[in-house]
Amino acid sequence: MEQFIPKQSHPKNQTVIKIWKIMRLTVVFLVAIALQVSANSYSQSVTLNAAGITLKEAFIRIEKQTGYSFFINQELLEKAGPVNLALNYASIAEALEQCMKGQRLSYKIKDGIIYIKERERKPQSIRADTTVDVSGRVSDVNGGLYGVSIVVQGTTRGTITGPDGNYSISDVPADAVLVFSFIGMKTQMIRISGRSNIDVMMEEETLGLEELVVVGYGQMKKSDLTGSVSSVTADELMAYPTSQALQALQGRAAGLHVQATNGDPGSAYKIRIRGASSVNSSSDPLIVVDGFPGAFMPASEDIASIEILKDASATAIYGSRGANGVILVTTRSGEAGQTRIEFNTSYSAQNVVKKLDLLHTADFVDYINDMTPGKMDDVAYPDTDWQDKVFQQGNVQNYQLSLSGGSEQARYYISGILYDQKGVILDSRFKRYSILSSVDLEVAKNLKAGVQLLASRDLRNGTVTQEWSGGAGQTGVISATVLSEPTIPVYNEDGTYTTSKLTGLERDNPVAIAKETVIDNVSDNLQANFFGEYQIVPNLKFRSTFGAQYRSSRDGNYLPSSMFGGRSVNGRGYINSGRSTDIINENYFTFDKEINDVHDFSLMAGYSYQSFKSEFWHAQSENFISDAFSYWNLGGGSIAKAPSSSLTESTLSSFYGRVNYILSDRYLITFNARYDGSSRFARNNKWAFFPSGAIAWNIAQESFMEGVPQVSQLKLRASYGMTGNQAIEPYQSLALLGTLPSVVNNNSVVNAVAPQSDANDNLTWESTVQADVGIDLGLFDQRISLTADYYHKKTTDLLFSMPLPKYSGYSSMLKNIGAMLNEGFEFNVSTVNVEGNFTWVTDLNISRNRNEILELPDGRDIFVNVSPGHLVGINNSQILREGQPMGQFYGYVYDGVYQEGDDFLPGGGFEQVAGGEKFRDFNGKDVNGKLTGLPDGQLNADDRTIIGDPNPDFTWGLNNTFKYKGFDLNIFFQGSQGNDLYSFMLLEMELMSGYNNSTVRALDRWTPAHTDTDVPAASTSRSKKSSSRFVYDGSYIRMKNISLGYTLPESFIRGAGMSFARIYVSGQNLLTITDYPGYDPEVSWFGATSNINLGLDYGSYPNAKSVTVGAQIRF
Amino acid sequence: MRLYKLYLPAVFALLLGNCTDLEENPVGTLAPEGFFKTEKDVQTVIHGAYGKIAADDYWGRELAAAILLRSDMVDIGNRGTVPARIQINDFNCDGFNAMITRFWPASYAIVGTANTAIEGADFLEDSAGKNALIAEARFIRAFAYFNLIRLFGDIPYIEVAIKDPESVKTISKTPQAEVYNNIIADLEFAKENLPLEHPQNVRSRPSKGTAYCMLSDVYLTLGRWEEAYSNAKWIIDNAANLGYELEADYQDLFIPSKQDGMAEHVFAIEYKGNQNVWPYDYDSHPAFTGMAGADEIAGWDVTVPSLEVYTAWDSRDYRKKVALADSAHFGGVLKPYTEFSIPRPHIAKYWRFLSGTEVDSDNNYAVYRYAEVLLIAAEALNEISGPTPEALAYVDQVRERARNWAGTQTDYPEDVLPGISKDDFRELVLEERRLELSFEFKRWWDIKRRNIGDEVFAGANSLEPHVNFNSDQYLLPIPQTELDLNPNLLPQNPGY
Repeated sequence: MEQFIPKQSHPKNQTVIKIWKIMRLTVVFLVAIALQVSANSYSQSVTLNAAGITLKEAFIRIEKQTGYSFFINQELLEKAGPVNLALNYASIAEALEQCMKGQRLSYKIKDGIIYIKERERKPQSIRADTTVDVSGRVSDVNGGLYGVSIVVQGTTRGTITGPDGNYSISDVPADAVLVFSFIGMKTQMIRISGRSNIDVMMEEETLGLEELVVVGYGQMKKSDLTGSVSSVTADELMAYPTSQALQALQGRAAGLHVQATNGDPGSAYKIRIRGASSVNSSSDPLIVVDGFPGAFMPASEDIASIEILKDASATAIYGSRGANGVILVTTRSGEAGQTRIEFNTSYSAQNVVKKLDLLHTADFVDYINDMTPGKMDDVAYPDTDWQDKVFQQGNVQNYQLSLSGGSEQARYYISGILYDQKGVILDSRFKRYSILSSVDLEVAKNLKAGVQLLASRDLRNGTVTQEWSGGAGQTGVISATVLSEPTIPVYNEDGTYTTSKLTGLERDNPVAIAKETVIDNVSDNLQANFFGEYQIVPNLKFRSTFGAQYRSSRDGNYLPSSMFGGRSVNGRGYINSGRSTDIINENYFTFDKEINDVHDFSLMAGYSYQSFKSEFWHAQSENFISDAFSYWNLGGGSIAKAPSSSLTESTLSSFYGRVNYILSDRYLITFNARYDGSSRFARNNKWAFFPSGAIAWNIAQESFMEGVPQVSQLKLRASYGMTGNQAIEPYQSLALLGTLPSVVNNNSVVNAVAPQSDANDNLTWESTVQADVGIDLGLFDQRISLTADYYHKKTTDLLFSMPLPKYSGYSSMLKNIGAMLNEGFEFNVSTVNVEGNFTWVTDLNISRNRNEILELPDGRDIFVNVSPGHLVGINNSQILREGQPMGQFYGYVYDGVYQEGDDFLPGGGFEQVAGGEKFRDFNGKDVNGKLTGLPDGQLNADDRTIIGDPNPDFTWGLNNTFKYKGFDLNIFFQGSQGNDLYSFMLLEMELMSGYNNSTVRALDRWTPAHTDTDVPAASTSRSKKSSSRFVYDGSYIRMKNISLGYTLPESFIRGAGMSFARIYVSGQNLLTITDYPGYDPEVSWFGATSNINLGLDYGSYPNAKSVTVGAQIRF
Repeated sequence: MRLYKLYLPAVFALLLGNCTDLEENPVGTLAPEGFFKTEKDVQTVIHGAYGKIAADDYWGRELAAAILLRSDMVDIGNRGTVPARIQINDFNCDGFNAMITRFWPASYAIVGTANTAIEGADFLEDSAGKNALIAEARFIRAFAYFNLIRLFGDIPYIEVAIKDPESVKTISKTPQAEVYNNIIADLEFAKENLPLEHPQNVRSRPSKGTAYCMLSDVYLTLGRWEEAYSNAKWIIDNAANLGYELEADYQDLFIPSKQDGMAEHVFAIEYKGNQNVWPYDYDSHPAFTGMAGADEIAGWDVTVPSLEVYTAWDSRDYRKKVALADSAHFGGVLKPYTEFSIPRPHIAKYWRFLSGTEVDSDNNYAVYRYAEVLLIAAEALNEISGPTPEALAYVDQVRERARNWAGTQTDYPEDVLPGISKDDFRELVLEERRLELSFEFKRWWDIKRRNIGDEVFAGANSLEPHVNFNSDQYLLPIPQTELDLNPNLLPQNPGY
C-alpha cells in the first residue's frame, strides 16, 4: 500500500494543475476539464468549506467531489473574484450559486458538464436587503403550465401559476432563490439576482441517463450499466395501498413476476425473477435493503427506489445467493435543509372480487335426491347463502407520517406507518405497524457514518383458507362456504352453530369456522444497520457495515369446543413460536481512477461474514376445562401432545470484487466475482466461486452517431456469468438419525430413533449460468425509450431428492443431479405520447419466460402429489418430465360422459355406466411391460398424461399516466396469458358425487332425459381422479389500479402551511377479464414459495376489489 | 496518514478473524457415528422400528387394510373411496397402486431400522443383554420380511445397514426359498436369545414364545407341518411359564383398557390414544371399519364386509356379535344396518370400546394370540397324524371360550365331533380360523397358503365374488418405480 502514499498529498490536483498550465499556453479558450467520473464517487452533493479561494480552485474541488466537468472561457476564469464557500452536502446548484455569488457569471448544466458563461445582461447592482416583485411565465415544450408551485426557498411563501402559466410574486428578497416544482417535472431552483421577470422552461422528469442506479456494493450511472437492471420508482410503489412492498412491484418490471397466491390479508406473494431456477429449493430472489442481504422488506412508503438485478453480471456479486435475481431496496433518507413533514393517508372499501353461482335449496335437494333417492326428506328447508354469511365489506386504512431534514453534518428521516386491513371474510384482519429511522452523519472531513433502524410488527387474525387437507373438523372457511348444504341455518334453535352433516362426515359451518377458530399471528422484525465510510485517499474509500436482524413470530391457535372440530377433543390449542437472528459484517474498498480522460477504472473488493440462527418451538394440548383459556393456558389442557423444538445455524463467509473499465465513454467492461464459503455445503465442497463478466457498447457516443440526433441513447449489452443457489438447508448433507415422536411401548411414549438420511459429502450449490444480451434505445431525447433483453439461464447441479430404491430403507437422497433452463425475452417501452399542458406517458413491459426441465435424475419422470389430503384418490396430480416446464398437471383426459350403449372401458375404479365419467384410453403395455403408446382397451395408470401447463406464455403490465393541469389520471393493467389453472375446489364441488353443494353446473348434469352435456350424472360411487375436467385457462387481464388525483393549487393550501397537497380516488382490481370459473385467477394453492405447486386452487381466500380515497400532504 | 496505516491492518485482522470454520455442528439431531454406546441406545433404535410398524403407512393403515381388503371377509364399503383401495380389493391393481407404493417403502424402512440396530449392537460389549437386543431386532426383521415375501414373492433381501444406497442399486431379487431361510435363521436366533417372558409383560415386544409362534406360522405357510407343529407345541407345553392363556371372554380381546399385558397376546402392535403425531401411532382401522355418521364412531365406510359374511355366519356365534355391528345410533336413534350409509353390518372389533379418537385409538392389534397357536397346532398335527384327539382338543379349547357369551354359557359352537375325516378337519380348522380370527389380518394369508382363491372368490358359496381373481393375484405387483430404478428386479410379478 506504500506506493500510494507519495500521491496522497494531492495526486489529483497535480494532474489538474498540469492541465491548467497547458491551458494557459493555449489560445483556445474553451477547455473541458473532464475529471474522472466514477461509479462510486459520482455524487450530487458537495462538501466544501473554504474562504477566499480562487474560482478555479473551487471548480477543481467541486469537480473532484461530484464528477461534473466545467466548461469555461479561460479569460472569465482569470477575471473572477475570490470565492467563499460554506457547503455541506450541498446540491450542485447550491454550490454553483455560492461560487457565482457576486460574479458576473451564469451556469448551465447539461450531460454532466457545467457550462459557465458571462451573464448576458448586466444586472443592476443589487443588495441583499432589497426586495423585488417577480413575475413571469412557466411553460414546457407545449406552452404555459398551470399549477406549477413556486416557493421562495427557505420560506413558506409561494404561489402557483395560473392557467396560462403566468405567475407573479411580490416583495421577494432580491437574492432569493425560487423553487419551481410540478409533478412529473424536474424541480428547478432559480436565483432571482434582482431580476423582475423570470421565465422558466420546465423539463419532464424522465429516467435520465445521468441518474444513479444502485447496484450491488455501489452505485452506477444508468448510462454506465452493463448488466440488466430494472428500476421501480417510489411513485409506482405508492400508487395504491399495499400490505407489503413486494405487492406493489406487480407488473412494474419486465422479468419480474409477482403473484398473489391467496387473498388472505398479509399473506405472502410469489416473486420470481426470470422464472424459477430450482425445483426443490427456494427460487425466491435475494432481497438486499441498503446493503443488507437477506433483510426484511420495508413498507412501500419508506422506499426511495427498487432495483431489480436480473442477469449474471448484476447478481454474481451476490454469488451463491444470486441465481434467483436480486431485489435491491434503497430506503428514503433525509436531505439537509428545512424540516419536511409528509403525511399520506388512504381509506379503501373492499369487497370480494366475485361470488360463485352455487345451488340454492330447491335445486340442491333435487340434486342430492338424484344422487341417492330419498336422501333428503320432502320438507321445507331454509335456504342459506353461505357466501352472504361469510363475506363482508372489508376496508384498509393506511397512514404514514414522516419527518426529514437536518443539517449538513447530520441528516435524518423518521417515518411511522400504520396499515390496518379488515378482510372481506368475517373475522380476518391484518395490521402492521412499522417505523424507520435513518441518520447520516459527516463525522469528520473524510469519515461518514450512519445508522438505520427498522422495526415492524405484523398482527394477523387469520382464518383457515387453502388448507392442506380438509374433511371433518379441518375444513377451511372457503371450502366450507362452497361445500356446505344450503339447507341448514347458521344457528340451531339453542344458539349453537349448526354443522354440515349430509356427507356423513360432520363439518363445521363456515360462519363458525370464521368466527370461532382462533388464529393469531404476531411477527416482529427489528433490523439495525450501521455503516462507516472512510475516504483513505481521494481515489480510495473503505466502507464497513455491521448489521443485525432479529425476527420473532408467534402463532397461537385455538379450536374451541363450540365447534365440531374442537368438540371431539374438547378444545385444542397450540403455540408455534420462533425467532431468528442474522448478523452481517461487510468490509470493502472502492478505488476509482481515470487515466488520460480515456481510461476510467473503478475497482471494488471486500469481505463479508454473515451468520444465521433460527430457533423454533411448539407446544400443543387438548381437552380443556374451558374455551376461555384460548391458547394461553396450554397446561390447562389435560392431554398434552408431543412438544417440539429445533435450532439451525449456518454461516456464510465471502470474498468479492468488481472491476469496471470504461474506455472513452463508449466501451464498457465489467467483471464481478464472489467466492463464497457456506457451512451448508457438504464437507468436500465448502467453497464456491462465482464469476461474471459483461461488455457494453455505447453506440450513441460514437462520433458517427453525431449526425443522428434523434437517437439519444443506443447501447448494446452482453453479459455472461455464473451464480449459485445456496439450496441446501443446514445439515442436509449429514447422515442423521431422526427421532420419532409418539412411539408407544408399554402404554407410554418412549424414545425412538431411526435412520433418517445418509451422508452426502459432495452435496453442493445449484449453479446457474446465464447469458444476457440487451439493447437500450432512446429516441427523441428519451421521449421513447426501449429496453429489450434476451436471456438464457441454465441451472445445473439441481438439488433433487433422488428417489432411491425403496428397499434400501431410504426413500430418497439429496443429490446434485438435474438441469433446468429458463429462457426468455423482456421488453420495456416507455413513451411520452403527449407533452404539454396535457401529458400522457405510457409504460409497457412484457416478459416471456420459457422454463424447461433439461435433466432429471436418471431421466425419469417425477410424480408429484400435492392435492388436498382429504381428496383421496387424486394422487400424482403433477409431473416433472424432461423437456417440459415445471408444474405440469398430470392425469386422465376427460372425454365427456358415457351415454347408453357406449363401449364402457374396463378399469379398476373407473365408471362403466351411462352418465359416468369417460376417460381416454391411449396407452397400454406390451407383453414386456413396455408402454406402447397405443390404446389397449382398458383404463389404468398408463393412460395418464400431461393435462395442463401452469406457466404463462407471457405476463405484462401496462401503465398509462395522464396529466392535465392539477389533475392526474393513472390506469394500470396487468395480466398473464396462456397459463392453466387446476382447481381442486371445483373438482370437489362438481364431481357430482358426494353430498356437498355444487356450482350451478350441477343443473346441467347428465340424466337419462338430459344427455347432451359433459357434466356427469349424480352418483355416489365415483372416485376422485386427477383429470383434465378441472383444468382451466387461467389467463387474465386485470385493471390493478385506476386512480384520479388532483393537486390542490398552492394558493389554496398556503394558508394551512402546506407546500403540497394531493387528493385522489382510486380503484384496485375493479375489472378482471378471465375465463376461469373459480373465484380468482390470481391464485396458487400453497404456491408462494414452491416451484412445483403452480396454478393450483383449493379453498383460497379470494382477492378483494377496492375503492380508495386518499391524500398526500407535505408541510 | 497514521490513521490510515493503523486502520488497514486492523481491517485485515478483522477479516482473518472472521474466516471461521464452516463445519456444521447440529444441535437437536443425532449423528450415527458414535451413537451406539449402551444397550439403551440400541433399544432406542428398536423402538424406532416399532414406531414405523405402528405408523400410518404400515399397520396403522396401508399394509393392514390391504391385507383385509384382499380377503373374502372384507370388501370395499364406499366405492367413492381411493381407487387404490378398490383396486386392491377388486384384484385389478398395478405397480402404481398407492397403497403398495406406501407400504413397500414402509416395510423396508422397518428392515433398515432393524439392520441399523443389529449393527449398532456390534459396538457393545458381548453380553446376554446385547444378544437379546440383536434377537429382538432380528425378530422385527423377520416379521417385516415374512409379510413382504407373502405379498410379493421374490424380493430384494437387505441384511445390512446401508451407508451408501447407491451400492444396492443393481442387486437382484432373492428367491423366496432363500428369504424364508433367512427369516427362519433370524427367528431361530430370536428363539435362542429372547427372554422367556415378555419384558415387563409388554406384549408389543417379543419373547421366546413369540419367536416360536412366528416360526410355527412360517412353517405352516411353507407346509412344513412337523416344524410348525413342534414350535406351536412348545408354546402350548410351556404356556403357563410363558404367560399365555385364552381370555375368558372373547369380547375382552377388543377392549383397549384390557389389552395391555393381555395373557392371550403372543405379539401385539400397540397404540395409545390421543398420542399420534402423524404418521406415527396412527390407527385408522376404527375409522376405516366404522360407518359414517354414527354416534359410536365417525367412520369412513372403507373396509366393510359383504352382506354374505354376515348372513352366512351363524348368529348363535358370540364371535359374530363381537365382530360385527348390525345396528348403530344416529342422533341418538338406534338404526339397523339397512339404514347405514353403506347398508351392511360393519366390523366392530376396533371401535366398539373405542378409547381415544377414531384415528388415534388405544387399540392393541394382536399379530399372534394364543388361540391361533392352538389352531396352528391343530392344523399342523392333522396334516402329520390326522385328526387326533389332541388336534381336536386344541380346536375345542377355542370353541369352548366362544361359548362364553359375556358370562353366560351357551352351547354354540359345539366341540368337534370325533370321527371327523382328515380333509374335513382341515376344512374345519380353516373355517375356525376364518371366524375366530375374523378381520384380524389373517384370512388372506390362509387363502393364499391353502390356495383356495378360486374357491372363495368364484365358488357358489363365495362371500365376495371377484371375477378378476386368478392365481397370479396371490402376489401383488412390485412398485413400478422400483423396477424403473433397478431393472435387475424385472420381471414384474406375472399378471401385472
